[in-house]
Amino acid sequence: MKRNNKDSDEIQYSMSRRKFLGLSAAGAGAAVAAGSGFDQLQAYAAKYGDVVRPTIQNGEVYSLCEMCVWRCGLVAKVRNGKITKLEGNPHHPHSRGKLCPRGQAGLGVTYDPDRLKWPLIRVGKRGEGKFRKVTWGEALDYIAEQMLAIKKKHGPEAMVFSTTHNLLQQQFENLLGAFGSPNYGTQRSLCFNSMITANMLTYGFEEPGRDYKDTAYIIYAGRNLMEAISNSETQDLVEAIANGAKVVVLDPRFSKTAARATDWIPIRPGTDLAFFLAMIHEIIATDLHNKEFVEKYTFGFDELAKEVKKYTPEWAEKECGVSAETIRRVARDFAIAAPRAFAHPNWRTSNFVNSFQTERAIAVLNSIVGNWNKVGGQCPIFGEGEGAGLGSIPQPPYPRSRALRLDGVPYKYPLVPLKLGIFQNLRDAMLTGKPYQAHGWFIYRQNPLSSIPERRKTLQAMAKLDFITVIDVIMNDTAYYADVVLPEATYLERYDPLTVLDGNIYIRQPVIEPLFDSKPGLWIFKELGKRLGLGDYFQYKDEEDYIQAQLRPLPITLEKMKEQGMYVPFEKKEESIESTVFNTSTGKIELSSTLLKRLGHKSVPHWLAPPRPTEEEFYLLTGKVALHTQFFTQNNKLLSDLFPENPLWIHTSAAAQRGIKDGDEVYVESRVGKVKTKALVTEGIRPDCVFMVTGFGHFSKGMRTAFKNGVSDSDLHQTFTDPISGGQALTQTFVKVYKA
Amino acid sequence: MAQKRFAFVIEIDRCIDCKACMVACSVENNVPVGHHRNWVKQIGPNGTYPILGMHFEAGNCMHCTNPPCERVCPTGATYRRDDGLVMINQDICIGCKYCIEACPYDARYFNEETGTTDKCTGCVHRVYRGEEPACVATCIGNSRHFGDINDPRSEVSELIAKNKYYTVYEEAGTHPAVYYIYRGERSNEP
Repeated sequence: MKRNNKDSDEIQYSMSRRKFLGLSAAGAGAAVAAGSGFDQLQAYAAKYGDVVRPTIQNGEVYSLCEMCVWRCGLVAKVRNGKITKLEGNPHHPHSRGKLCPRGQAGLGVTYDPDRLKWPLIRVGKRGEGKFRKVTWGEALDYIAEQMLAIKKKHGPEAMVFSTTHNLLQQQFENLLGAFGSPNYGTQRSLCFNSMITANMLTYGFEEPGRDYKDTAYIIYAGRNLMEAISNSETQDLVEAIANGAKVVVLDPRFSKTAARATDWIPIRPGTDLAFFLAMIHEIIATDLHNKEFVEKYTFGFDELAKEVKKYTPEWAEKECGVSAETIRRVARDFAIAAPRAFAHPNWRTSNFVNSFQTERAIAVLNSIVGNWNKVGGQCPIFGEGEGAGLGSIPQPPYPRSRALRLDGVPYKYPLVPLKLGIFQNLRDAMLTGKPYQAHGWFIYRQNPLSSIPERRKTLQAMAKLDFITVIDVIMNDTAYYADVVLPEATYLERYDPLTVLDGNIYIRQPVIEPLFDSKPGLWIFKELGKRLGLGDYFQYKDEEDYIQAQLRPLPITLEKMKEQGMYVPFEKKEESIESTVFNTSTGKIELSSTLLKRLGHKSVPHWLAPPRPTEEEFYLLTGKVALHTQFFTQNNKLLSDLFPENPLWIHTSAAAQRGIKDGDEVYVESRVGKVKTKALVTEGIRPDCVFMVTGFGHFSKGMRTAFKNGVSDSDLHQTFTDPISGGQALTQTFVKVYKA
Repeated sequence: MAQKRFAFVIEIDRCIDCKACMVACSVENNVPVGHHRNWVKQIGPNGTYPILGMHFEAGNCMHCTNPPCERVCPTGATYRRDDGLVMINQDICIGCKYCIEACPYDARYFNEETGTTDKCTGCVHRVYRGEEPACVATCIGNSRHFGDINDPRSEVSELIAKNKYYTVYEEAGTHPAVYYIYRGERSNEP
């Protein structure tokens, strides 16, 4: 089962060949000895001279996890200057003393033998993996020179910037704003654009919260909390089930959430919309909606009632393959349980270009039963990073960019929030050169070669660029194709800007000093900003100075903050339904959206038939597991040891028809790509679907544990953009499967 | 006060198979990558689509009252503490692996780095400084519990007093100290 000594010609660092060889020998040795104990990872790290410079010798440090986006509080235990264990912070509302497997495996990031150690500049061809080790000064001078050359020749808009959800996002946005480029890519359109856009248009805010305590009835149509763990919310769900809540899971696959639900409904992919429209129909038809709430807080009920008249459970049964009787039962039970009931907004539903309508239907369903701000229903969530009176760093206004955004927002997609953007369109524009050619790409903590559909196209788009730079902790696939790669300190070695959650302030702080020659993001942005002539936008001396400026208005010192890990302001605002601001044109929950109507769209949720695969094709489903986060954890030995690859789930009957047995090698072929993987034959999936876990199939030789383990769905996914929300329809790809 | 008897209670219905317990144990106890002191077994999916059931049974060394591993140990390295935890004295273990064969739960592994056998210690080093074992402390579903079953007011005592429970391979005469509470499959299951 050891995968580390596979064919990988090692990634080459020309200037440090000798040192590198010594290093790889240590790595290989560690891998071959069946032991490769965790101590060895640490010993390995320690081998690099005086790299271990602990902030404390022995004791505990409060900080924040970064193994996914949930940002749990953690307590790091330090012994003899090494991090020995991470625990959940009992005082943090997201962890409540517990960490999930990824959080527990955080040391595997910091002490990963494959960590990026020094700044690197490419010497071979792109993708050859040949780099030379350089100083930070040389790397940053070079990046600034390249970016300024592009700006001078093609304008600032020719530089594309992209990053994923993180605590330094604001400083990253500061860099691109100051540079003057409108072209900003995030992971959001590959994830929750349809959910956010639908909620913005219905409620006027991004996402309603859920009150699991005392809830009686929950419907999920995509959120798989037992496997795609959001620590506190997963804990809440387990408690709710233990307390007897009914849980309905719409999922074509028998997920672990489905296994713990009261109802698993293996619905046809893309037809959750029909299910929810029929529920709305049934609730209104049987007069089970909350008339008082609808009257007082919503807009457009009559229009909605008229539209859903035709969506009978019998009609929906034909579309989604769920019996009318089941739909009636769920609708009635849900309405009766309300307001102690909610249909979860999910992150993404079974992702088709109709997902925006599905999310609208979910928001409308919740609204007609009046569960807003009720015990066991939906509730407000405080925005992260807002309020609590944090100070800020002074800076000049950004230059105004007159250029169009490459992703078509907002001129082609007026309803997509600018900060969401459309990442897959941005990639396509880099490739086509329309409306203009991009020339540079600045990528931070992101691996677009694995995340955006049609990896081949992303590679082609990159080939069109003059300059690509990546900042990360590991040589991910995109970094492998970059011109400059900068090693960032891991989350256990740096400060990030303070964050606010539920009105309290939390700190991410270094547990140990950065290993090797890695640097914290705050330092990198400041140093780069200086070289780009944008020093005024980064008016802080160092990391601690930045945090101190944030703390200035508050009666707490940095030392105290570091010691406690958090600060609770004296007064907090309690939200009630009367104080909820529905930031829509009518100031009410819009069952019928005035904005959609104004833009010429149908204003109430309505049926849009999703495409179906041919007889010989399957729906390709993709999703998460508890042990991995997207594309970021497969090189972590602690996690890959337990979940090393991603075989293709296929139903027993479909496998038998094709002569496929469990463990057989199979080809999976979509209209844009083909991969070879292993089959996992199971009863736990619809016979017309296949499933694979996302995040595998890395081709960077700098990731020796993950290299070529499993396959990447980005080789198979086709690019489909929802015209309203800009969301990528990740389930709309159909594949053929045959024996290899 | 009666002599302590440490035991694990595992609530099957709360386990979500996330394996945080396994990772936490590996880090806490420096377990070599590729070996584990604890596990989560997936049972299922049972049945035929679309009527299916599945649950998860987490486990670790059963800290038996009558441990077969202890009986076969030629040097006395494996021993049972007064508080019920079965331990290995790493200083006198000769790595003969008899105990690995003798354990009906497959709870032991051979540590190539030390040349000795290893297994769950109940995180005794944490317990006596007032912490829960690493696997229990981080259990997302609050499925794993640890405590003194000789203390009737302990959480573990209350759990086994109030619920039907089972133990594994009781018929082998091992008297395991890991108690499983299983309230049954959810209503969608066969």
